[in-house]
Amino acid sequence: MNYPMISRRAPWAIFALAVFTFAGHAAQAQAQAQAQAQAGYSAPALYNLANAYARSGKPGLAILNYERARLLEPNDPDIDANSSHVRAAAGLPPQFRSRFERVAGFASPRILAWVGIIGLLTAGVGVLARQVYPRHRRKLLAMALVGIALVGMTIGSGIALWPIMHEAVVITQTAPVRVSPVPIEEPVFELPEATIVRMIEEHDGFVLIRTQAGRTGWAQRANVAPVVPKH
Amino acid sequence: MRVRMLRQSAVIAAIALGLFAAAAASAAAPSVDASIEPSQIEVGESARLTILTSGSGALSVTLPVVPGLEFRVVGQSRQIQMVNGATIESTSTIVRVTPEEAGVFTIPGVTPTSPPLVLRVNPSGGSGSSSLRGNGASPDQLPFVPGGSNTHGIRLTPDGSAFVQLEIPKHEIYVGESVPVEIQVGMRDGFVASINGLPKLNSSDFTLNNLSHQPERAPKAIDGKPFTVYTWRSVLAAVKPGNYSLTFETPLTVRIRTRPQRDSMLDDLLGDPFLQNIFGATVQKNVSVTSPEAPITVLPLPAQGRPPGFGGAVGTFKVSTDISSAKNIAGDPLTLRMHVTGAGNFDRVESPMLGNDGQWKTYEPKATFNSADPIGYRGEKVFEQPLIATQPGARTIPPLEFNYFDPGTRRYETARSAPLNVTVSPPADLAANAPPPANAAGAPVDESHGGLRPDHTVTETRVDSLIPPYFEPRFVGLSSVLALLFGGGWVALRRRERDARDTQRQRQRARSQLTQTLLAQMAAASTAGDAAGFLNAARSTLQQTLGARWEVAPEQITEALVEAQLEGDDKDDIRQIFALADEANYSGDDLQAADFERWTQIVGRRLGEETTA
Repeated sequence: MNYPMISRRAPWAIFALAVFTFAGHAAQAQAQAQAQAQAGYSAPALYNLANAYARSGKPGLAILNYERARLLEPNDPDIDANSSHVRAAAGLPPQFRSRFERVAGFASPRILAWVGIIGLLTAGVGVLARQVYPRHRRKLLAMALVGIALVGMTIGSGIALWPIMHEAVVITQTAPVRVSPVPIEEPVFELPEATIVRMIEEHDGFVLIRTQAGRTGWAQRANVAPVVPKH
Repeated sequence: MRVRMLRQSAVIAAIALGLFAAAAASAAAPSVDASIEPSQIEVGESARLTILTSGSGALSVTLPVVPGLEFRVVGQSRQIQMVNGATIESTSTIVRVTPEEAGVFTIPGVTPTSPPLVLRVNPSGGSGSSSLRGNGASPDQLPFVPGGSNTHGIRLTPDGSAFVQLEIPKHEIYVGESVPVEIQVGMRDGFVASINGLPKLNSSDFTLNNLSHQPERAPKAIDGKPFTVYTWRSVLAAVKPGNYSLTFETPLTVRIRTRPQRDSMLDDLLGDPFLQNIFGATVQKNVSVTSPEAPITVLPLPAQGRPPGFGGAVGTFKVSTDISSAKNIAGDPLTLRMHVTGAGNFDRVESPMLGNDGQWKTYEPKATFNSADPIGYRGEKVFEQPLIATQPGARTIPPLEFNYFDPGTRRYETARSAPLNVTVSPPADLAANAPPPANAAGAPVDESHGGLRPDHTVTETRVDSLIPPYFEPRFVGLSSVLALLFGGGWVALRRRERDARDTQRQRQRARSQLTQTLLAQMAAASTAGDAAGFLNAARSTLQQTLGARWEVAPEQITEALVEAQLEGDDKDDIRQIFALADEANYSGDDLQAADFERWTQIVGRRLGEETTA
């Protein structure tokens, strides 16, 4: 077991694992989110926590933390490899990422945010200077185009990450999905643990979800955890 | 007298009708059944004799004659049933029996082969038997059965309104064995108001599983009487060996007839129980109806021959296996499924599936049961187990075994599946037997934890939120402010440029109008021969034109400036115009007509050049 290493590196991860041992997954995920929110997020810590969950035989929480780590480090091959490994071990199909998503995720969103600011400044200055100094119109036009390209990279990254903002992971062994948000109704289908779904709406302890196959229904909020926690 | 004649006519008509009905019936053998209810009354009360004829053929039915008893036909009903294409007709004749004195009366059978009936009549207000008189029967010989009458294997309640019956296919079972059973509750139409609960098993040594909540409902004729039979199905299982008697109990609400009134004509008209119900001749009462005891022997499972992996499954089962894919890549998961089909106690059907070995990495299986019937006695239980081939090559999944006890053969059986062959190829990006993939830092895969890559070194760099910064309000606000600033600046610059262009255009327009005016003045002065006016207008025209070109005020255009800046052939002529205009203002010299024309051409040419420029 590798928990001592984790304890040296991320004390809140051990706290989350202790909660996991004695409580349900939903409470565990909530406690983990609170602990992480207080301590801050880092890709290595989330990755290590996901590994710990994977070793504990909890693929749902492992995938959840891999997805969170991927938000901060989109190009970490270890995150991709371990996430694929856990998904395969859980009997889930491999996660498909389009070329656009791969290209848009070439850098961290935090870096791309600053790139976008710089691009906006560059494009703005270039456009204004082009009006003031018409003799250098071509050079200033090129400068403005470079700035617009930088802003475009940020916008592309945002478009690629926007769906993830509404994704959630099934953290219980199964998540019954019903037609309406009432617990007494018979479920129409069940989602296995570690399945990634899209959250559409919340109502009275239930979440309207859509699977990657396009099936929709209401799952209990305690059965799923959002990739991006709401504070 | 008239009433008596009417009664006799009714008796004759009823008997004739009964005889006709018996004669007209076809196919079935004729039968006559008679019952009297209640079998014990007091003087002043009446009993009801029901004569039921069913089947076909001629049958002679005559009203009995018993001294001390008065028989009077009060009603008759007739039913025709179609069973498998055959017509069965039954006629029920209701006869009111009124005793004239206390005693025990034996009523002879209505046919020579019918058994006699006994009516016990107590004195009014008492139930003692010492003063009983009658036609010969003694009280000890009363054929009274507390549980009701046994007819066709069914034990009816004493009033014949309902029955509960347990249908069990075998009376010798094993511990843990599941046996499908049927619980039938029959209710005579018009006599039972409601069922107040599910049938309840009166034994703690058995379990009743999957009792259907909605029973099947079917009509049934028992001794010619219409019944509605409700059937529940369930699975019975014994928890310990021994000899038992099973009974089922069902709460019902029945309608009990009140005693008939001796001289009521209405009672005669209401001889039919249904009409009696309508007119309030019955009361409702909650009763509990119990089925006849069903003996059953529960045998223990034999210890001899019990396999080590036996989990308590009793029944008849078959086993088969399949794999999600016969071709796979090392490291990718497969799903091994074992199908157990048959009949028995599926809740005890368990299997560890495939264990860990050098070839396969296995995980805990999951089981699902698909029932083929509503009670879960027959069906299929599917075990699914994820597998991962650890090494490439041709691999074989060994046969899976399942042990159960077969009550038919009375011995333990082992069902085996066929082996499965799987071809495992190496990963596409790695050669066979290559070391596991390394992480970004070049470290080997953490083999001790199922192929996960090792943990990363945690840095102190942390962020407050997982939300990408460009989705945060402060980033959106900053970007918006910058975009607005740049946009506003661009708009301001564009507007300033446009305004400047507009000012220039206005100046040109004003200059053009002024030039036209001056040219008109030149033309007027030329016509009038006014040399000074002509030369001043020409000079002003040239000042306007050159001032616009040199971007200076027209008043600042002087002869010296023209001399300094103007180039071309017209330079001297224009300078001369400026000089002549000054001279003409003071000297008053006149110009010749040719001079007017010449200076006009020079000014016009100059205007044309400036316009072209």
